[in-house]
Amino acid sequence: MSLSPTRRGLLGAAALATPAIWGRDAVAQIRRGDELTVGIWGGLQERITREFCATPLEQQYGVKVNFVLGGTTDRRPRAYAERGRPSFDVIYLNIFESRQAVRDAVTLAPSANVPNFANLYPLARLGGYGVAFNPVTIVYDRRLVAAPMTSWKDLWREDLRGKVIMNGELGAQGSSTLLMTAKIWGASENDIDPAFRKIAELKPFRAFQTSQDQLYGMFDNQVGAASVEFGSFTRTYAESRNPNIVIADPTEGQAVAMNVACITAGSTKQALAEAWVNLHLSPACQRAYAERTYYSPTIRNIDLPPELAAKLIIGEAAVGKLVDFDWDVVTRNLQRWNGRWTREILG
Amino acid sequence: MNSSPRAGLLALPYGLWLLAAFAAPLGAVMLLSVQESSEIFAPLSLIPSAAQYAELWQDRFYRRVFLNTLLLGACVAAACAVLAYPLALWLTRLSPRWKPIGFAIVLVPLLTNVVVRSLGIILLLAPRGVIGGLAVELGLPRPDLLFTWFAVGLALTQVFLPFMVLALYDSLEGQERRLEEAAAGLGAGPATRFWRVTLPLSLPGLRAGLVITFLLASESYVSAALVGGRKVLVTGMLVVKEGADLLNYPLAAALAMLMLGAGVLATILIGRVVARLTPWVADRVPGRRLALPPAARRIVVAAAEFIAPLLSRLLLVTAIGILVFPLLLVAVASVNDSPQATVAQFLGFTWKWYAMVLQNERYLADAWVSLKLALACVAISLAIALPAAFALVRAGFRGREGVGAMFMLPLALPGIAIGLGMLRLLQWFNALPPFLGILAVHVVLVAPFMLALLRASVAGLDRGLEEAAGGLGATPVRVFRRVILPQLGPGIAVACVIGFLLSFGEVTVTAFLTTARLQTLPVRIYAEATFSLENTVNAISTIFILTTVALLMLVNRVMPLDRVWKR
Repeated sequence: MSLSPTRRGLLGAAALATPAIWGRDAVAQIRRGDELTVGIWGGLQERITREFCATPLEQQYGVKVNFVLGGTTDRRPRAYAERGRPSFDVIYLNIFESRQAVRDAVTLAPSANVPNFANLYPLARLGGYGVAFNPVTIVYDRRLVAAPMTSWKDLWREDLRGKVIMNGELGAQGSSTLLMTAKIWGASENDIDPAFRKIAELKPFRAFQTSQDQLYGMFDNQVGAASVEFGSFTRTYAESRNPNIVIADPTEGQAVAMNVACITAGSTKQALAEAWVNLHLSPACQRAYAERTYYSPTIRNIDLPPELAAKLIIGEAAVGKLVDFDWDVVTRNLQRWNGRWTREILG
Repeated sequence: MNSSPRAGLLALPYGLWLLAAFAAPLGAVMLLSVQESSEIFAPLSLIPSAAQYAELWQDRFYRRVFLNTLLLGACVAAACAVLAYPLALWLTRLSPRWKPIGFAIVLVPLLTNVVVRSLGIILLLAPRGVIGGLAVELGLPRPDLLFTWFAVGLALTQVFLPFMVLALYDSLEGQERRLEEAAAGLGAGPATRFWRVTLPLSLPGLRAGLVITFLLASESYVSAALVGGRKVLVTGMLVVKEGADLLNYPLAAALAMLMLGAGVLATILIGRVVARLTPWVADRVPGRRLALPPAARRIVVAAAEFIAPLLSRLLLVTAIGILVFPLLLVAVASVNDSPQATVAQFLGFTWKWYAMVLQNERYLADAWVSLKLALACVAISLAIALPAAFALVRAGFRGREGVGAMFMLPLALPGIAIGLGMLRLLQWFNALPPFLGILAVHVVLVAPFMLALLRASVAGLDRGLEEAAGGLGATPVRVFRRVILPQLGPGIAVACVIGFLLSFGEVTVTAFLTTARLQTLPVRIYAEATFSLENTVNAISTIFILTTVALLMLVNRVMPLDRVWKR
């Protein structure tokens, strides 16, 4: 008996699909006693995810969640070293690290296996599951400037000459400075030279900052007038310690930055990892982040009190106004730009 | 324990440990540094290429940063030496009851978080800070010291000063007081006595201190990043940027290898100079000294004797100020009701940071891991470093200086490079039980410090006593237990305290190797600081400092910090 081409095709497809289903089966179930290893920042991040992700999972499925705490500079090299046989199941990366990790086959692209994926803004569906918008903008001391800052171009104003605290490196904040400069002065990530020239025009810088704590220490001591930083932490700082600090909302928009949950390629606990991410994207968890550290939610199905929402990026229009960049171009060039930043801006 | 080549065998355990736990990561770093491709997933090539080194060499920027860093290391080592002498002498003169407190003061910078310490320096040097205010009060122009090489040098001097003080302490404490009395009886003033008696006899301790502070200062990058505000660039920063941020391992490895080379050269150089200045150690005839004509000499001596008492007091007060300043900040900040750690403003009193630390079982669990790790690490490091110290001081084999420098290699290779090297070996590393794996690495990091300190202590032993005991029929074991060990007591105690604190506080390498099963307290603190620095850090530092005082009192009971029979 001969098989028709269609049936043969079907059988072939079934034969191909079977191992895939088996493979999926092995990772698609959550078994009691499974251990999920999550690489995340410490402090408040650990506390919130323990409360809203780890504890519910542990109670519901009888699994155990292990936290490996650190910054992305610790877990990223490690995840790369362990590509394909990861010791992490979920790692948290920043917006461009996460997209590069998917391209390098270190982590998986996001999928609808995570039910809350459907509620994500499109911007938060790249390179993994965006869990928080944490945009970068101009922050300044109102006592030390002649007029409120309403545009990225205000950094070049005469009254700020010599008073700008520049980013010391091209991390999330520094690259936002560079890319926004390119954008507002008519260049782009594909034509970065004008941005370097414009930033060099700001010299002499009052100082360079490489961390929020360092910047806030400088603001405490009135070392400089303005810098580029995450709005979220700066708001906490301004409200608790220094009411003179203003988080600007420039007409050109704030630069997008995002924390991204990434499931590692080769994780043997994929289903559990997806359940974890789903909980992180739940309204309750997103609300806790918004209340406790002014992180803006990445999901659409959330209602926040108006006074809180006013301090965040909420709704299609506001999210649409966040300035995104071609991060593929950025990651390809970051190494070279870093060298130039060190020489032309710091040097 | 004669000057025979056979005594060199005592260095074997130390050498074997380095071979087992350090040779592999070092080899990985070496291999990475001779790769042609910087592509992260490129297979390792066994054909060496000088591409990375050529890139570093041809780039004026790297050359400049490299030389600046070495210069910074040298200046910090020198500043530490100048500040440490008055402080170490003061420590030797403290009464036994106050000694643990004195030690605690010296150790404060090692017990406070680097970010907090740096905030302290910022507070001190900011235009509206303490020094700025003082200058304006005095009618001087407002100085701009922050984000300069001076600020970085000050920050590094603050944190490495304890190593220098402890390295000198044992040499000074073990000195024969009668020599100084004899000099005084012959009419020498305090300055002359220091210059002609105390200083030369303490040179072995100074050598240990210079090696340690130079290597640490030339590798450090966190302080430089925080108080240099990136206006100051050091090699360590470039290694971290290339290695951890950009994942360009080959270039980072090549840079680390160059630092290693410079570190080894400096270690050998310091050893040579000190050996030349201490001819009596090797029973050599001293070379001819340059001498001033008698008239000029009299003027110099008179001037020195006039300045010395003032200068030594000024230096002592400055040194104590530099050491204790962070303690003040930390203690105040630990009860500050501010959501982010700050040292500039006090917003209200609260105990909540202490409550957060003490009620959180995770802090306690991690502290327990760190404690076990540090104790095991000190025990093993002592067991391998003490025999090695005897071998390096007493054995008469060729290339002893070379072996001594080799043994300091883990100190000369930046911690971040060791971490990157270990990442290449992760498969094998993960096969070890987590505790043993981290322990092996900690011993590699800590043993060189203990070796450097113990070597100075062994060099200061009075061999006449051993010979006398041997002549009276004591067995070598008995000589060791009854004659050598009591003399070495303070040296061992100091080395153990330093070793314990280093292991207990290690972050750079441990953060790379932390797994779900094993987390140390400093890694937890560091991970929290990578998100946002809270005042729990300061609460922990305060608890550390109080615990250290208690621990030192205990150590002082068990193993006196001075030589009891000399009192």
